[in-house]
Amino acid sequence: MSLTEGSGPSSSPGSVALGEVLTFFGMVADYAAGCAPEEGERVSSLAVAMAKIADLSQEDRDALYFAARLRNIGALGNAAFAKGEALSDREIVMLGWDVPADGARLCESIGALPEGTADMVRWQAECWDGTGYPDQLRWAGIPATAQLLNIAQAYVRTTDPEESLSAITLESGCSFAPEQVRTFIMWFHTYGGEIESVAPPYAALESERTTPVEIIERLSELVDAHNATPQRAARVARRAEEIGKHLRFDAETLRQVRLASLLFGIGELRALQAESMQFDPLARLGIDTRAENAVTAARLIAQCPQLADLAPVVRARAEWYDGTGRPDGLRHDAIPQAAHALAVSLSFDAVDEAYRSRITEERALPLVRLETAAGTQFDPAVVRALADVVKARA
Amino acid sequence: MIELHERTRRISASRLEEILRGYGCTSVVDPFMGLPTHLNYFKRHGFAVHGGDLVEWFVRAGEGLVVNDFTVLRDNEVAEIVEMLPGRIYALDLFKAWEGVFFTEEQCIYLGVWHDNVRNLRSDGQTGLAIFGLWNVLCYWLQKAQYPDDMRDLPPSELAWNYIRKTERWVTSNLRRNTVRQADVLTTISAQTADALFLAPPARNSFRSADARIWMWEAWWQGNPYYNIEHSYRDSLFGQRSADEQGYARAIAGVLSNARDYPVVILQTSEQRLHEFEPHMRNARPHVEILAPHSHEVYLIGTK
Repeated sequence: MSLTEGSGPSSSPGSVALGEVLTFFGMVADYAAGCAPEEGERVSSLAVAMAKIADLSQEDRDALYFAARLRNIGALGNAAFAKGEALSDREIVMLGWDVPADGARLCESIGALPEGTADMVRWQAECWDGTGYPDQLRWAGIPATAQLLNIAQAYVRTTDPEESLSAITLESGCSFAPEQVRTFIMWFHTYGGEIESVAPPYAALESERTTPVEIIERLSELVDAHNATPQRAARVARRAEEIGKHLRFDAETLRQVRLASLLFGIGELRALQAESMQFDPLARLGIDTRAENAVTAARLIAQCPQLADLAPVVRARAEWYDGTGRPDGLRHDAIPQAAHALAVSLSFDAVDEAYRSRITEERALPLVRLETAAGTQFDPAVVRALADVVKARA
Repeated sequence: MIELHERTRRISASRLEEILRGYGCTSVVDPFMGLPTHLNYFKRHGFAVHGGDLVEWFVRAGEGLVVNDFTVLRDNEVAEIVEMLPGRIYALDLFKAWEGVFFTEEQCIYLGVWHDNVRNLRSDGQTGLAIFGLWNVLCYWLQKAQYPDDMRDLPPSELAWNYIRKTERWVTSNLRRNTVRQADVLTTISAQTADALFLAPPARNSFRSADARIWMWEAWWQGNPYYNIEHSYRDSLFGQRSADEQGYARAIAGVLSNARDYPVVILQTSEQRLHEFEPHMRNARPHVEILAPHSHEVYLIGTK
């Protein structure tokens, strides 16, 4: 796809970095909500194209772009999508109605986003006749931008453009405002239903108000809430960083250790269960889903230019030191240093958690269990570093 | 063609919920309830809710969406609402006065049929759901008059079926007592206790220019196409007695004074009308905060 629209004023490196991480945030949320990988880009491009036809201001179009990208972030941690107790179909539907408002709250907490983004996310599922959610707004009470976002989502979700055109036209006056349906029809006939990618308006972000790392930390909290493993990523990151410092990793590797530890959980978002027992001999036989989750997380991370260097680290976190792990059977130094630290910290967390919560009858200290796997599953030097770190803390 | 208000009052229940939670509130009273959708939202999120309004159909709709915890309409019950039932005698000309003015002959006949069918429903919950669902049909017809080429021609019974079905999915229970009453604002305020009082006061003399989609449905419910909705507001605090500016200011001050037992009072207005309310709120409450997400959505929050 070619880029069809300039992003106005040139973007600073800071706003590009932030914009790419925000786009990644939206992509992870789309994944959690069960959307296709390219859906975010298609929805945002279509929404902005329609907004241009409707002659909306550049500010509105910029906000609409980010609202489309972040439209599903309310799904992260929402009980309808998250792991937890089994819910009835009706409960799932009702909890799903909260996704737009939860997403709006998150957007409001990101100071860098253009004004109006949060409200577009909040009202993206409102219907013109008042039958939408969360607020059951109707008619002119729904901003035109939110309506365009709703139409763009409806269009992108259907595979056949003609069928989609027909479905959206039939909803004129019900789900969608007649004016916005006319805009959509005009877009459809102008572009033949083909969505052309637009350049991200990163220059519209106030990058001094939010940092990319803050976004990643927020994302990791939400991912942990979603996976029913509260605060896990923060614990794992803290311990992995300590291991890295103990082993005198350079600054770049320490950065990789920290960010990879915060992000590895995104691979589990759609898994049925979180990896509560990371340290398990069955993993060697490929019976668990650990490597699969690592591959998924790495695939998602690789799509963000700012974070792409973390993908090999996250992918290798299920490898074994002796080369019998998965997914690639890497061994010794072929496994990134940061991945060694992440694997040991994560496994310690799982065993420690199980020990503390008395899930297991195992009476030995968690550290002893990891030491038995040094040289096979784990790099012995990293396990020794963990032992030093844990003992120093005790 | 009838003129419909372009801008209608926007109440964002999800934003209000954030405000209420920020003040630790778990129950709320709205004496100017109007459409009870926001109270339904609060109820779904665990708040105990109490609404009041002078217009009867709002209150009936509240019985379906706010008070009602479990009752829905089965397929055969919806069918008994949306279609003419064999063997029953209907007053088919009940809404003939609207024929050719607002609606077609067929639509007027259906309005009469639905009026009779809804009045024969078995419970208040079902009646409320049907009233709200069928109101959406009325709105559809009125909007279609504005956008004749954009909106589909659908058989009345199909429209009614769809909207009643869409309405009843909002029915939920929060295991708390929720109420609605047909009463003036002061009666509702004094009859209930809650953590918060939510006020979205009508503009001065707004009862004289009520939205057609509102007054027409009250007329439908009353079975009288000539019904004048001003009757509902006669002798009420925000009726004739607040026709002038001073009277209106006295009415607002009276409401806030009567709300003294509520720990939190949230008044929703617009930037344009903020000056009408802010001095009264500051007189009534020691702590006042203003939240203004939009120029037409401003919250004046008074606490003790």
